[in-house]
Amino acid sequence: MKEITLADVEQAIRSAAATALRNEKYFSELDAAAGDADFGVSLASGFRAIEQEWEQLDRSSIGNFLLKVSMLITRNVGGCSGPIWGTGFMRAAALTRDKTSITLADLDKMLTASIEGIQQRGGAAPGDKTLLDALVPVRDVVRQHAADPDADPRAVLAEAARVATDAIERTRDWVAKRGRQSFTGERSRGTLDPGIVAIATMLNDLCSQLGVSRADAAASS
Amino acid sequence: MKKFVNDPANFVAEMLEGVYLANPQMLRYVPQFNIIHRADRPAADKVSIVQGSGSGHEPAHVMAVGPGMLDAAAPGNVFSAPPMEYCYECIKLMNSPKGVLALINNYQGDRMNWDMAIELAQAEGINVKSFVIDDDVAVQDSTHTVGRRGVAGNFFVIKTCGAAAERGASLDDLLALAKKVNGQVRTMGVALTSCTPPAKGAPIFQIGEDEMEMGVGIHGEPGRRRDKLKPADAIVDELFKAVSSDLPFKRGDRVALMINGLGGTPPSELYVLYRAAALRCKDAGFEVVRSYVNNYCTSLEMAGASLTLLRLDDEIEDLLAAPADAAWRIF
Repeated sequence: MKEITLADVEQAIRSAAATALRNEKYFSELDAAAGDADFGVSLASGFRAIEQEWEQLDRSSIGNFLLKVSMLITRNVGGCSGPIWGTGFMRAAALTRDKTSITLADLDKMLTASIEGIQQRGGAAPGDKTLLDALVPVRDVVRQHAADPDADPRAVLAEAARVATDAIERTRDWVAKRGRQSFTGERSRGTLDPGIVAIATMLNDLCSQLGVSRADAAASS
Repeated sequence: MKKFVNDPANFVAEMLEGVYLANPQMLRYVPQFNIIHRADRPAADKVSIVQGSGSGHEPAHVMAVGPGMLDAAAPGNVFSAPPMEYCYECIKLMNSPKGVLALINNYQGDRMNWDMAIELAQAEGINVKSFVIDDDVAVQDSTHTVGRRGVAGNFFVIKTCGAAAERGASLDDLLALAKKVNGQVRTMGVALTSCTPPAKGAPIFQIGEDEMEMGVGIHGEPGRRRDKLKPADAIVDELFKAVSSDLPFKRGDRVALMINGLGGTPPSELYVLYRAAALRCKDAGFEVVRSYVNNYCTSLEMAGASLTLLRLDDEIEDLLAAPADAAWRIF
């Protein structure tokens, strides 16, 4: 199986940062529909800090790199989104502090740990219309291919981007049960969750950057 | 805004440096992470006790670092939780073979950042546990909390755990003690004015000349209601009723009574409030064994006060009487 290297992880984070900065206004507009309209600005603040410190980040292992990302996100993303996104990166980091390359099976474990951490920190569960509703299907795609020795991580990424994108519309008519969006209750029905949109957009932008298209998507079994 | 301030961005750092410069024997200052810690800690034979919350509540909690009190504090900016890194570095710096106890006031930002820091420290093999303080009876949930807020009662948890740690208590002993004290302490506050964080430059809320906020939070969060200002005795009546009926305290209880200033109320007024509270304790049949009248947990220059009752037992009373030192002292 083709492994995912530290350089690949770096590229993914760099790409996610570009997505967050490019969509600062759009993500805040989404948040304005039912939340407090600061999500885009908060997320961009965190990823801007990563851009600023990019050259100094610890690159001794994937885990140490992600741990630094976690700290910058936690510190610079305002409100509760910082600790929630930061916990996601921290849990993934904890499993890879001695690794400079990972398999899809490792990535499955990392995403699972991230999902558990985010649930624990924020008190949300899948179905509450939060970023978990994008991350869980993405993890499931990775898991499906984790045992396949011929799996191509790029094809799995394309499939993951597809299921995350599907989550945007699938959850539109749900009522948010956690996070700021939940304060407005029924008003969240019919709106897009900014966290879900952010995850999907980050994955789609990464696909574009890597030149991976839908046609490359790994077949779901 | 009229304040003693240079560049507002340096307000907290300059305060911390001042705390250190005034106590060069007792304290050390780590500017990179806003940490003030005891010069002689960590020690191998004592659990380290740490706290980190927003600044602006001084003397809580950086001026409560010293023998028999906190071993270290890592405050955030004014009214902002400390970043996770500060908490994490504070735990690492105070790591002792007997463990580290983080005393956390119940605010979402504080809890999330400390929880993450603790998780990270535990993953590195550090024996650290935490306890959450929530003594404010004013409101059940607030703009910054799920559940009750942690306010002036924090002092009693720090003082008792600090004393017990000096005597060699284990981390689990201290957790049990913190739980006991937090379970026996109740507080409610009232604000007469708002306050102005230096970097914000404007009051955090508006309140009329003739108004008070009953049940106010220490970041100016709304309390139970806005009301017309009343005579001091009538205000104490309401605070005392809310606090004493919550546990509830009972006739015959031995108590510690605290009147805590919110920063902008002079000692004279605090003693006017204390008089009224002491008389109500007498009427209710509570024996006041220890008295505390001072600024303990403030909101910058807010005029206002809070009333705290702590039910005593022999252990708590003994620990409160144990020697201690901190930057906030008058002798």
